[in-house]
This record gives sequence, structure tokens and C-alpha cells, in this order.
Amino acid sequence: MKVLVANRGEIACRIFHTLREMGIASVAVATDPDRQAPHVWLADEAVALGPAEGYLDPARILAAARQTGATAIHPGYGFLAQNAAFARACRDAGVIFIGPSPEAMLALGEKRRARATAEAAGVPVIPGVAECDTLEAARAAAKRLGYPLLIKAAGGGGGKGMRRVDAPGELAEAFAAARREAMAAFADDRLLVEKLIEPARHVEVQILGDGRDAVALGERECSLQRRYQKVIEESPSLAVGEGRKALLEEAVALARAAGYAGAGTVEFLVGPDGAHYFLEVNTRLQVEHPVTEMLTGIDLVRAQIEIAGGGPLPRPVAPRGHAIEARLYAEDPYRDFLPSSGKILMLEWPVRPWVRIDAGIREGTEVSPFYDPLLAKLVAWGGNREEARRRLAAALRETTLLGLTTNQSFLLDVVESDFFIRGETFTRTLESRSWAEPEAPEEVRRVAREAAREAMTAMTAMAASLGASDGTVTPGGEWVDRYSPWGSLGRFRMGAGT
Amino acid sequence: MSWVTIHRDGKTHRYAVARTREGVWVGWSGRSTYFAADRKSSPAAAHRAVHDDVRAPMTGKVVAVKVEPGNQVEAGDILVVLEAMKMEYRLAAPRTGTVAAVHCREGELVDLGKILVTLAE
Repeated sequence: MKVLVANRGEIACRIFHTLREMGIASVAVATDPDRQAPHVWLADEAVALGPAEGYLDPARILAAARQTGATAIHPGYGFLAQNAAFARACRDAGVIFIGPSPEAMLALGEKRRARATAEAAGVPVIPGVAECDTLEAARAAAKRLGYPLLIKAAGGGGGKGMRRVDAPGELAEAFAAARREAMAAFADDRLLVEKLIEPARHVEVQILGDGRDAVALGERECSLQRRYQKVIEESPSLAVGEGRKALLEEAVALARAAGYAGAGTVEFLVGPDGAHYFLEVNTRLQVEHPVTEMLTGIDLVRAQIEIAGGGPLPRPVAPRGHAIEARLYAEDPYRDFLPSSGKILMLEWPVRPWVRIDAGIREGTEVSPFYDPLLAKLVAWGGNREEARRRLAAALRETTLLGLTTNQSFLLDVVESDFFIRGETFTRTLESRSWAEPEAPEEVRRVAREAAREAMTAMTAMAASLGASDGTVTPGGEWVDRYSPWGSLGRFRMGAGT
Repeated sequence: MSWVTIHRDGKTHRYAVARTREGVWVGWSGRSTYFAADRKSSPAAAHRAVHDDVRAPMTGKVVAVKVEPGNQVEAGDILVVLEAMKMEYRLAAPRTGTVAAVHCREGELVDLGKILVTLAE
């Protein structure tokens, strides 16, 4: 087997690690903005994909596989991972798609058909209307269901193409935005409308299938989200007690009914009354899969590859301890979670026991505005939840990342907050609270002033040594203004202040 | 790109420092702050947009321009829709006024801090 990974960032890096360990030849693909990206260097060879949208181009990916003699394609998550037409094109081209068959993908991955499949398998679903492709249809659905409701992309996931609507006046704008986002992210603008369950907890079951049989490897709780993007995930879930057995059995029944092969996730919402509703199936590896790996010792990427090669399902094992994952995003949690971009100037990860880091960045990496803002995941294991939580907090404190705005400080505050310690996690918890930007202590400001002064001194010295008596000539062909703020520290202020 | 170590009261404090052309990043115990020399280029300043200039709060692509010069806008009206990392951000008018100028086009890639729309009274 020779595997092409049709993805980028942390997940491509993570897949390459397992491929190396298994001694399988690997191929990376990289778009122009990603030429220097870390995933390229973890593969045995790499193929250029051209412009930024290259990861979404099935023809280019298949051409890269042909060109390098790759016999299998691992799609990771996002991009083409849930694109049944691509899975079919792989099959037609004689390349193994590491994931479910296009038929299983359509039966489960497409949100509308998944609802129907679940209903047929006796799994409870959220009240909703599966076909809302026009604004008129959405209006009619809203009338029947009442507000608040949720517009979702039929072909997507991860919160893209998803909009909450609280009142009739917001419907048209939300509908149009969801449609545009869905089209941009998944090349598919079909939508559905569901009643919003609130307050809700988000619980999902990890499954592995071989096309005939399936096993469940426990659940993960992913309630803590912002804009329907998960931020913190953990297992076991505190929302699942006696219902666990039923939850796992329903997930397995669904996988069997669809003839599911490979790794997948069956997502449920747990409502205020403790009842659970089928939400969707993610027919791929999930971002948060390390949480399950930490509890079971099963390498899910390896399992995917073995199943794709006709191997057996791993034997389910009893999960051990507790694991919590925090997603480090390139975004500003104090300004609407706006994505940020820039060059990573300094990066130091925690080196400590019981902590795993899945990262798609290195010092010097240019984080571009073209892709998902996920930079890395920090996952901590503990014998119990509190132990895992303390280890995660310590790991976050020991992480240094400078050069662009991230949510690191926010993650730390969440992990240290009382509600999180108590395990009171709901899908709206993060957004319903206000989060304060960290105040830089006086010593930090002093360090900043000192660094600026040093920079000015160094510039002036360099200019002087180059023979410019007035200190206005600089290396690199740029002009330094003698009266720039670098020289007048009185104007030097905090970017985040006032 | 360096560490500054300060010994004080029997304790050691470590600070990470990285300079850019426009300012300094300082990191401490899992947190970091950017000290901008030019405050207008900082994310905070770009986001506030309290003046006549409405700036891009992030680097990204302009997917829709909702106003033209001469338009009357109310506070909260959508001026420009930006997209980055596959998320949309709707940039709203910070106050009521008239659109004096639009400085961006649909499809254009804009940098953080760029002036997108100028408002007049």
C-alpha cells in the first residue's frame, strides 16, 4: 500500500505519523500557500496542488495519486472526506478510499438521508424538515416548528453552513448566509431545518465497521462549542449515565444497517430531560479522535488503514481513565472569535507526561487565511476527570505561541473555570458567558517596553555601522523613521488596551 | 525570539518575547499580548472602528459589498461581508451616517486593518 493524504494541517501530520510507524510509503499534497507547511515534510514525497482551493479538487487529487503510484487515499476530515462522488471516483480509478463506501456515506453522511436511516433503525431524531432548499420551504418549516431553530447544510458539518434563527425577521439573511457558506465549504448548498434543542449536551459515539459488523469504542462529550465549532472534548461524558448502553447499541445498529466500513462517529444531542436525539453521522475520522485513542489505546488511523486493506475490526476494549482535549485555534476569542493569521514567531510545546499534542504548525509557519483555524490539539489523560483537567491546564500554561492571536488564554480560563470543574457543560455555555481578555501584568509591559528599546538601539547601531551618521539607513532596503514609535516609548501602548 | 528571565522575591519569572516590525509579542504562563507601536494596526483598534473609517477586523476575502457611496446607513447595517477560514463575518456600520467611500471590491483579499468603507456624517 502507498497512501496519499488528501489533507493538510494537524490531521495530515497525524496520519503521516501512523503511516511512518506502519512502514507504509506516503504522499503529501500541498497548495501554493502550503508549500512550506509541516505536513509536506512528514511525507515521503509531495505533489503541488496549485491555488488554495486545491484540496477540494477531486481531479487534481486523483491525478496526484496516479502520478505518484499511490494505491490508497486518506481524506482526513473536511475537504473531500465526506464527498461520496470523490469516494466513487477513487473506486472507479482503482484507488482505495480509506473510509466508508460511497453508498454508506450517502445513507449516513448526508444529513437528510441519515435522518431517514436513523428513523428506520428506530433511533430517535430531532423534530425537523429534511428538505428546505428554498426560502419558502424554510418559512413553512419555521411556521410548523416554531423558533428558535437551526438551519444546517445537508452536505456538511463542523458548523459551516449552519445558522441559528431566533425570530422570523432573521430567517432570510441566515438562510442566504448558510447557503453561501455551505457552497464555499462543501460545494453543496442544500439545507435542512430543525428545531433547536436547548439547553443541550453534545455526545457522540466512536464506531468502527468492516462493512458487515461494527463495534463502538465509547463516547465523547463535545458540548463546549462556539459557533457550533467544538472547543473542548472529553470522555467519558458526564451527560451519559444509565443511558450509555442504549446509546452505544443504537450507534452500532445504525452502522450495521448502513453496511458501514471504517471509522465513523454517531452524534447525539442530549436534551434537558436526559433524552437523546440522533443528530448526524460523521463518516470520517473526527478532529477529537485522540480522546478515544487515549482511553482505549487503539490507533484509529491504523484501524482505518487495516479495515480498508481487508483486515479485521479491533477488539473493543474497556475505556480506561479520563481524557480531555483542547483545540488551539487561530482566532480571537475576545472579538467574536474572528480568525487570525500571521507568522508563528515563537513556539514551544509542553513536554510532560500524560499529554499528547497533535500539531500542524512549527516555528516559522505562516498561518494563512484560507483554511480552518485549527492549529493544534492538546490532549491530557488522567486516572479521573480532575487529574486529566489539571494536566491539561498545566500543559496550556506551558505552551508558548507568539506571532498571531490564538484562543490559548481562553482555553486556559475555560479549563480552570468553576463550571468546567463541576462538569456543567452545555452547547451554549461558552457563548452565554462573558470572557475577559487577560490583563498584561506590569512586568509584562516592562518587558515589552524593554524589547522595543533594544530593537531601536540595535537598529541605530546597525545603521551607524553601515555608515549612516543620522541612523536613517536600514538593512533590507526599508526606511526607519527616526521619529517612529520605536524611538518614542511614550507612544508605545498595548494593542489590546483601552 | 527570546526568553527573558526575571528573578524577583525568590521566584523566577519567564517571559517569551518576539519582535515584529510593528510591535512586540510577549508571552507569559500560557497567555500572550501584542504591543503594537501603531495602535491602528492592532486587532483591537481595527475592531472598534469608532471613527469614520471601517477597517477589516481580519485578513480575508471580501465576499459581498452591501453599500455604495451616498447610501444612508443605520448603526448595525451590514456594510461588507468578509470570509476567512471558511467562516463569514458581517461587518456592520458602527454608527448612523452616509457612506463617503468604499475601498474594496468583491473577491478582493484584504489585510487586517485595511480601510474598507469610510463614513461621513
